[in-house]
Amino acid sequence: MTIRPIVIASLAFLAIAGCGERARYIETGSTEGIVSPGEVDMQDILKATSGMLESLAETGILKTGKNRPAQLVVNDVVNDTSSRFDVGELTYRMREQLVNGGQATVVTTFGNNAEDKTAQDVLRREAFLKGDGKTQLPDPDFSLTGKITQVKRSAGDTKQSTYTFRLTLTNLRTGLEAWTKTVDMTKIGNKPAVGF
Amino acid sequence: MTTFARLAVLAAACSIAGCGTVNTTSTRTEPAKTAVPAQTRVNDLLQQIFLSCKEVRMQPTKGGPLEVQVDVENNGFAYRSFAYRFDWVDANGSVIPSMTSQWKSTNVPAGGSTVIRAVAPNESATDFRLQVRRADT
Repeated sequence: MTIRPIVIASLAFLAIAGCGERARYIETGSTEGIVSPGEVDMQDILKATSGMLESLAETGILKTGKNRPAQLVVNDVVNDTSSRFDVGELTYRMREQLVNGGQATVVTTFGNNAEDKTAQDVLRREAFLKGDGKTQLPDPDFSLTGKITQVKRSAGDTKQSTYTFRLTLTNLRTGLEAWTKTVDMTKIGNKPAVGF
Repeated sequence: MTTFARLAVLAAACSIAGCGTVNTTSTRTEPAKTAVPAQTRVNDLLQQIFLSCKEVRMQPTKGGPLEVQVDVENNGFAYRSFAYRFDWVDANGSVIPSMTSQWKSTNVPAGGSTVIRAVAPNESATDFRLQVRRADT
C-alpha cells in the first residue's frame, strides 16, 4: 500500500473522530438541553416551578395568611413517576424565590420530621427555659403538598409521556384547600434527543 | 404536461398546503382594551415573516403583579415550534431575577395563533422583555 492512501485514510479517521457534540455549558433548563421522552428533564422541573410561582403570584393567596409574610410548611411532595429525581429540585427553587423575595417564610422546625432538627431543639429549649408562654413559636398558615404523576403511551417505537406536576396549599386554620395548580408537559419521541 | 396532469398537480399542491393549517374565527375586530403598544427588534427576518407577535396585552392580576399576554401568529404553511422567554423589568429598567424567567417551548399550527403569557414575580415589575427563537435555528 502506498503512503498517500494511508495518509488520506488517517486524516479521514481523525476527521470522523473529531466530529460529534463537543462538551460545552448551556443555560440550565434551556431548550438546548436533552429532551427525554421517558424521564423528567431539568427543563420540565423548571417549567413546573415557573408555572407554580406564577400562579401563586397571580392569585395572591400568600397575602391571605394571618402572618406577613405567610408561613409555609413544606410537606410531602410525592414523585409517582418512573423517573428518579429529587422533588426538592422543584420545592427548593420555589422556596428560594418566595423566601428571598419576602413573599413567604418556610417553617423548618415544625412537626416530627422537622427539616432542621437542631433549630427545632434550640427553639424548644428556649421556650422551656423562658417558660413564660410568650416565646414566638412558628405558627404556619399553609401546608404545601403535591404529587408528580406520569401517563405513558406508545405507538410502535414512538413513546409519549405526560408528566403532571400538581401542588396544593392547605389553609391550616380552616383545613381547606386554598390553592392548587397543575402543570402538564407531554413529550414524544423514540429516544432522547438534543433540543433546539 | 396535459391539462389533466396540471390540474392533478395543482389539486395535490393545494391539499398539501392545507394540511395541518388552521382557520380562526373571532368576533373581535378591534384591539383589546388592555392592549399596549410594543416594538420588536428583528434579528431573524425569516422568523419575523413566519412567526410574528401581534397583540400585546398587559393588566394587573388579582394578586397584584402584572400579567402579559402576547398573541403569536404562524403565517407559514408548516407547524412551527419556537422557544420564548419573558424577563421582567422594574421602573428603573433593571431586570428582576426570577425563577419564572425561563426559556419555554411551544408549538403553533400553520395559519394559527397561540397565546403566550407570563405573570411578573412581584409588584415592582412594570415592564417586560420577550425573546422568541424558532426551533430550526
